[in-house]
Amino acid sequence: MELQAVYVQVLALVLFAIGLVVALGRRNVFFVLMGVELALNAVNLSFVGFAKTLPADMSVAGQIVPLFSIAIAAAEACVGLAMVILIFRNRESVDADTYSNMKG
Amino acid sequence: MLALIYFIILAVLAVGSALCVLLSRHPLYGALSLVLSMLSLAGIYGLLGSPFIGVVQVMVYAGAIMMLLTFVIMVLNGARDSKTPMFDGVSLFVIPGVIVLAALVGFVLVSAPIAFDETTLRGSVALTSRTLFDVAQTGPGYFILFEVLGLLLLSSMAAAVLLAKKRLGSVDSENTEDK
Repeated sequence: MELQAVYVQVLALVLFAIGLVVALGRRNVFFVLMGVELALNAVNLSFVGFAKTLPADMSVAGQIVPLFSIAIAAAEACVGLAMVILIFRNRESVDADTYSNMKG
Repeated sequence: MLALIYFIILAVLAVGSALCVLLSRHPLYGALSLVLSMLSLAGIYGLLGSPFIGVVQVMVYAGAIMMLLTFVIMVLNGARDSKTPMFDGVSLFVIPGVIVLAALVGFVLVSAPIAFDETTLRGSVALTSRTLFDVAQTGPGYFILFEVLGLLLLSSMAAAVLLAKKRLGSVDSENTEDK
């Protein structure tokens, strides 16, 4: 029994599914953001796992792209949390369904 | 064999803490479970032979992003809105849909012939920096993306400050809100 490449992909799939359920199913807006982060993490893991199945000079790209993805996730979390602060101050609620009204 | 044991331990930790995120009631517990999930993912990156991504994962994800999220949860005190239910009717349709999606993709993955390549390169700091800052004309050109990413981070920081700066704790803030 050795570590197989498909185990990594199955783990990434399970984490992505859990992240998707958290992002779409939970009502608390903090959990929605956390679910998005979890799904992004799973995609990064899938990138690295597939990069390890490629021969030498092709396996570099799969290890560079997750770095960019992590940086984009940092920007996304920054702007998303600022919007949550802004809306929470107006609405006094963390329920994502109460955010459907766009009137300022 | 040893790699498989480490992988199983880290995978169980990651999936278990992800389930804790799904099932926890208070956002702070969810955020702390998410930190544990990200730390075990960083261990898996190291196990797969990309230690630089693992370190970046610990520093940026588990350090910076989750610190920001925890900080905002504590500042807003999101738990005082305790009337919000955890799930609603939409979740009844979301969960089977995601399970079916995962089963389909999992079937494709299991039946696909993928295996680790022996000649794959280890994602060390030297290799990553050499690829990332390769400014040769025939190179991959990642350095342009890197520069653009700096601008993106700067602009998102400015946007976040502009969005959230108004009426934070000042006295006349409460009056302007009521107008």
